[in-house]
Amino acid sequence: MNRFRRIGLTSLAAALIVLQATQLSIYAASNGGRSGNPSAQQPGSTATGSPGTDSYTAHCATCHGENREGNPPTVPSLLGVKQRLTDQQITTLVHNGKGQMPAFPEVQQAELTALLRYLGTPAIATPKPEPAATASVPGSHVSGPSAAGGAIFAKDCGFCHGRDAMGGESGPDLTSSRLVRTDRGGDKISDVVLNGRIDKGMPAFKFSSEELLQIAAFIHAQEAAAAVVKKGGRRGVEVADLQTGNAEAGKQYFDGAGGCVKCHSATGDLAGIANRYEGLQLEERMLYPRGAKSQVTVKLPSGDKIAGVLAYQDEFTIGLRDSSGIYHSWETSQVKYVVDSPVDAHVELFSKYTDADIHNLMAYLQTMR
Amino acid sequence: MNFFTKKTCATASLLSLMAVLPNLLSAQNLTNEEILKPSADSWPTYHGDYSGRRHSRLTQITPQNVGGLSLAWAFQTNQAAQIKSSPLVVDGIMYFTVPDNIWAVDARSGHMLWHYNSPTAGGEHIGHRGVAMYKGWLYFVTPDAQLVSLDAKDGKVRWKKVVADVSKGYWSTMAPLVVGNHVIIGAAGDLDNLPGYIRSFDPDTGEVQWQWDSTPPAGTPNQTTGGTIWMTGTYDPDLNLVYFGTGNPTPVLSGTNRPGDDLYTCSIVALNPDTGKLVWGFSASPHDTHDWDAIEVPVLVDADFHGQPRKMLMQSSRNGYFFVLDRATGKSLLTAPFGPVNWTSGIDAQGRPIPNPAKEPAPDGRLIAPDEGGLTNYRSPSFDPKTGLFIVDAHPSWSIYFAKPADGQYGWAGADYGLWGKGVIEAIDYQTGKIRWSHEVGPNGSGAGVLTTDSGLTFTGDAHGNLLALATSDGKTLWHAGLGEAMQTSPITYMLDGRQYVVMGSGSVLFSWALPQTEVGGGVASGK
Repeated sequence: MNRFRRIGLTSLAAALIVLQATQLSIYAASNGGRSGNPSAQQPGSTATGSPGTDSYTAHCATCHGENREGNPPTVPSLLGVKQRLTDQQITTLVHNGKGQMPAFPEVQQAELTALLRYLGTPAIATPKPEPAATASVPGSHVSGPSAAGGAIFAKDCGFCHGRDAMGGESGPDLTSSRLVRTDRGGDKISDVVLNGRIDKGMPAFKFSSEELLQIAAFIHAQEAAAAVVKKGGRRGVEVADLQTGNAEAGKQYFDGAGGCVKCHSATGDLAGIANRYEGLQLEERMLYPRGAKSQVTVKLPSGDKIAGVLAYQDEFTIGLRDSSGIYHSWETSQVKYVVDSPVDAHVELFSKYTDADIHNLMAYLQTMR
Repeated sequence: MNFFTKKTCATASLLSLMAVLPNLLSAQNLTNEEILKPSADSWPTYHGDYSGRRHSRLTQITPQNVGGLSLAWAFQTNQAAQIKSSPLVVDGIMYFTVPDNIWAVDARSGHMLWHYNSPTAGGEHIGHRGVAMYKGWLYFVTPDAQLVSLDAKDGKVRWKKVVADVSKGYWSTMAPLVVGNHVIIGAAGDLDNLPGYIRSFDPDTGEVQWQWDSTPPAGTPNQTTGGTIWMTGTYDPDLNLVYFGTGNPTPVLSGTNRPGDDLYTCSIVALNPDTGKLVWGFSASPHDTHDWDAIEVPVLVDADFHGQPRKMLMQSSRNGYFFVLDRATGKSLLTAPFGPVNWTSGIDAQGRPIPNPAKEPAPDGRLIAPDEGGLTNYRSPSFDPKTGLFIVDAHPSWSIYFAKPADGQYGWAGADYGLWGKGVIEAIDYQTGKIRWSHEVGPNGSGAGVLTTDSGLTFTGDAHGNLLALATSDGKTLWHAGLGEAMQTSPITYMLDGRQYVVMGSGSVLFSWALPQTEVGGGVASGK
């Protein structure tokens, strides 16, 4: 459908559900309970099949979870329960129950002893470095907060950024990131993780402060490791990689076939552009400047017109900010509107460029200092 | 065609039986017969049935009355993870997942029966596609690549089996495919150079029955790794073949150490479900260097093709091509792009795109369409038999791909950056590959799959979080509801107590929609 076309569809019963998403972090809730399951635990903790684990699995795991993580606040975690309660208190609870917890008077003698011993074993959960999280950076030794961060990173960040933080499916190499380079103790990384970069496809994550510090520590450890060795390559783009073009040919394209001069000027809006951006960032902005503003003019049923910066547009709603910064919106079925998006010219060019055109344009833009 | 007719009769008779004796069918015991011929009150597999068409014969909600659709219930998972799973509905109970979690809820009211939550530290927690069910048992994979069998009644674990070795870099997300006495699963993992495979498990004991390897063992000279299988396949009971798409080769963006077609990566394969033997394979992206897994749903359609009745397989592939194959032989009937594609130098005699070497990732970058997410991805398309339209959530997009020798030959081995993309629901005429209508759904892309119904409705979503009901005939919007978050899964539908429900996940919430009780008739719906 043409986005400029008036959409005259009536929604008979549009139900707008406003959700107060109660984003209780599962990470925070299971802090310490983020364990491998019994078959994947590290050596030294209680093995599956011992009388204590069997008793726990039979009587307790249904509610308190296979890994004693519980389901707070309804069902308490039993990790570290022996630091909170004595054996006698636990025995009383087991035999008599409490609140919603049923009684298990049949748990006696050897089984009771085994269960109490099992409840005293350390959490399998102790975040340990994923073997894979560090394996790809041989020679780097990861421990402490960065090890815990590595486990979180592998689980929630690695798919996009690569498990070694050096880039992967859709996510950039963080070890060569300028933001990471200037981050101190997570002050910048935390913002990005908590708020995401929605326009670039990075979701927001609700981690605890401690987890954020651990993630930042891991990324910095990887940054240091990357300086030493990068197995599997850098997965980033150096400024030097983007110097294969011819500036004169780029100028010709800019002035001619590319049609760039219809909107841009080397001595006007683009003067000094190469001082503001470099390398990949410059090339990405050249090909499609994200966040470019569009203008919209809305004609109301009264005949009045309101113009402003396009602030929201879907099939059903059109929204703008007027010159004083005030937001207005209308149902698209109630008004006529015209959107002016000069940035669409960049989209038109995608199917026309050769790779050489792009490299030449890059060379030309880099002369604009 | 015969298959259709039989199915129509079975569904019709079940429907009439349902009207009289709705509650006597409840047994919580999903048989092979019921999976083969799903009743209208169920959605017993990931795709709803074995064909992968995600098309329902239900007709209570129509283009005329869909404007009255209203919220039946919503289920809030309270999780940070987005719902990417397609729910099952069996005997009035709905089962759906996010990584490490399963919920069983009442499909009429959305109230929770039980919640399984077993946190795992290992493996990617990128998403989860849902459970499979057979008899009274659920089958669920974990991020650390284990298969868990649980009692559908209460979520109690019966056993756990290893699907793949998480320490090597595998993880699991997919809903298993149950065929006969087989639970068929693959594992994902393309951050490392790992061979891909499918394993079949015994539904009772969890023993491995067979394994089919899509690529040779890691380290085989001049051979690829990769080809992981991470999406639920489809099944033709007459041919006794299961169909799966396979993932990209590894190293991902560099093909120098894996010359040739890299079989069977980025392929559609037909296997015998009893033996795991390959019957045929079709390479959708020979020698892929752009991460375009061909795991998109292999949709099975019996219809005329250019005047001749055919048993076909259709796939809208991530690499930008729409394929129609003869599913008995794997021979190509049609190959056509369904959006901007610039990486090929033509189509070969076997109907396979020919990769243009000049468009392989390079040190100074190559402009590529589509982007790495592809012209479509794992969310389901739908085939509407009445109109012959294959309807897909497409993603026209452009990107730049880089690779240089210093990037090595392990894992990603390069870098790529999306520049621009948008979402378009496209209705493809399967006989020509021509796009009959298209409906824009917003910047960057939507992420919602597609469901069609016999009444002529297409349910999907836009990039802004609007659930949409479109007219299948022309793509015009008939109804919408803002759900607050873009959708990452595909809609399902089912009928209970004479009321048709449409269910879609958005963010961490599952929404169920139906016509008001007063409109669907009080007689059946009351007093149950």
